[in-house]
Amino acid sequence: MTKRTRLFFFVTVGILVAGLGTGAVASYMGIQNLVLIGRDGPVELAYVPADARVVAFANVREVMDSELRQKLMQLNPGATDGPDKFREETGIDIHSDVDQVIASMSGEATTPENARPLVLVRGRFDNARIESLVRQQGGQPSDYQGTRFLTHPENGFALAFVEPGLVAVGTATAVRRAIDTKASGDNVTGNAEVMRHVKDIDDGNAWVVGRFDALTGGTQLPAELAKQLPAISWFSASGTVNGGVRGVIRAEARDDAAANDLRDVVRGFIALARMQVGQRAEFAELMNSLELGGQGKDVSIGFAVPSELIDALSAMRALRPQPREAQPELEPNLKPWPAPAL
Amino acid sequence: MSEAAVPAGREGPPYEAAGRDGSGAPPALGVGPGRPGVAEARRPPVVGSTPSFLAGAARVFDLSLGEMLWSRRTIFMALVVGSPVLLAIVARVVQASGLAPLRVNGVRVEAASMFGMMIWVLFLRFIVPVLGVFYGTALVADEVEDKTITYLFTRPIRRGAVLVGKYMAYFACTTFVVLPAVMLVYFLLVPFGEIPGSFVSLLTDLGILALGIAAYGALFALVGAVLKRPLVVGLVFAFGWEQAAMLIPGYLRRFTVSYYIQSLVPHAMPADGGVASLLQFVFTDTPSAAVSIVMLLAITGFSLFLAVRAIERREYVLEQ
Repeated sequence: MTKRTRLFFFVTVGILVAGLGTGAVASYMGIQNLVLIGRDGPVELAYVPADARVVAFANVREVMDSELRQKLMQLNPGATDGPDKFREETGIDIHSDVDQVIASMSGEATTPENARPLVLVRGRFDNARIESLVRQQGGQPSDYQGTRFLTHPENGFALAFVEPGLVAVGTATAVRRAIDTKASGDNVTGNAEVMRHVKDIDDGNAWVVGRFDALTGGTQLPAELAKQLPAISWFSASGTVNGGVRGVIRAEARDDAAANDLRDVVRGFIALARMQVGQRAEFAELMNSLELGGQGKDVSIGFAVPSELIDALSAMRALRPQPREAQPELEPNLKPWPAPAL
Repeated sequence: MSEAAVPAGREGPPYEAAGRDGSGAPPALGVGPGRPGVAEARRPPVVGSTPSFLAGAARVFDLSLGEMLWSRRTIFMALVVGSPVLLAIVARVVQASGLAPLRVNGVRVEAASMFGMMIWVLFLRFIVPVLGVFYGTALVADEVEDKTITYLFTRPIRRGAVLVGKYMAYFACTTFVVLPAVMLVYFLLVPFGEIPGSFVSLLTDLGILALGIAAYGALFALVGAVLKRPLVVGLVFAFGWEQAAMLIPGYLRRFTVSYYIQSLVPHAMPADGGVASLLQFVFTDTPSAAVSIVMLLAITGFSLFLAVRAIERREYVLEQ
């Protein structure tokens, strides 16, 4: 056997062995153990307890700087109440101070305490200003595990400066638990089920992963509607916001039959939407972007809202007639006649 | 004018020859004259060193492997096997840009399904039979055509060992090209998160491809050993008979190799569309996995046995 023949077989056998080895390790040791190759989610997950039922992430900086947001702000210039209220309560300006937000809900959704999220905000904060603002509103400062901790006794709100540039906001119990979780290391990255979904979708600038009963178990959905939903165990959604929005929504059904049922339902909705949209060219690209996918227990639908569609919607809104001013009360003598009694 | 090849290698004069690649390396086959144009290194005759059947086959394997791998046919094999890898790279790039590489009725085809379709349509239905035809029929036919079979038959090894050695070289050569290509396609197409769910299917695919390469190679080696123009017959069998018999209702499909190979494929058939309905009809009647494996091994073994018998009994006439 010549040297180049030996080299050839060395390379081909190497490819085979490397492929089989990687596949075997991924299959039998678990994909989440291959941290070097797979994404492991944001580092702030170290504060999220292992029993998290919903985890969400947003790269606020990218979303705020996106072309889409600028367009939406032009469409609806007065829609700033939410961020303003948050700024009033915490002293944090979402527009300028925040880079990333991680929100999570842990435990069972049976208590109102657990229904409120823990929010971890990373950005640039003036700690002293935030503390004085919270104090002005009746908040009380304290230390917990060496961390500056501000609580509001009336509404149970708490804020802690857990790291330079990272604050935890939520109920006092949730924030204390986040600090404990970081100290113990028993966090959500050890929850294989959650992390499997997080690693699947951790590629957009906003995503959410959750157990489906987090939606149906609480008071979020009417019982009648919840009963009609297919047997879904996990849901996730991921989106990339830039000029438009590109995203994917995934659901993991309890079994293959439930997944097939769900696919049929989604297929039906897509067909219905196509009928409704008809020949409207501005929506054609959106409809064409709908992609139903998934194998086995997984069902996914991808979509893309192109920036052209946003522009078209803006133009349609501009062309819509402005609402008239309130009609003046009719004079008593001009009031309509009462309907005759039958 | 024509000359008959020496019937069996045992009668040949015991000369040692230079390597067939002209490198001057020691000859792989032991004794016999060197090829025309190759300088002979005369050494003392070796008498009574006839190797066993397997040892002879191993020597032919060692000699043929390099020849087969670095022949002009390798370019053809590289094109055939490289095209799915190229397709997978394109699909990966398209996927990375946020578009669906493949859609059926507006529904995105998942990466694992795309991989399954490539295994089914490209590798099992095209690449494996094509490689079997081109390499299998050439095992003997090329030596006859190049008029070099005489030199092989004058070695002190059984003619059957020559065929088996060349077949082993074909199997090693094609298997170690096709299987790594499949591995590359798999890792290009299937997202890392989906590997645990599809890795067993990949192993099954690799096993089926190896079985297919073995079965087709042995069958076409028989064709090459028996027929004078084996390539045409091989192509007609692989892309005429096999395709037609699979569509004809009844038992005719049992006389094809693809019938047993396709019953082992783990990937589900596409569920929608008229063509798929036809395919589902075609593949409804499939043998069990055990029967398929036994039949494929039987086809390989029986074809190889018949090819060995044919090459040992046949007198090859070399046209001038």
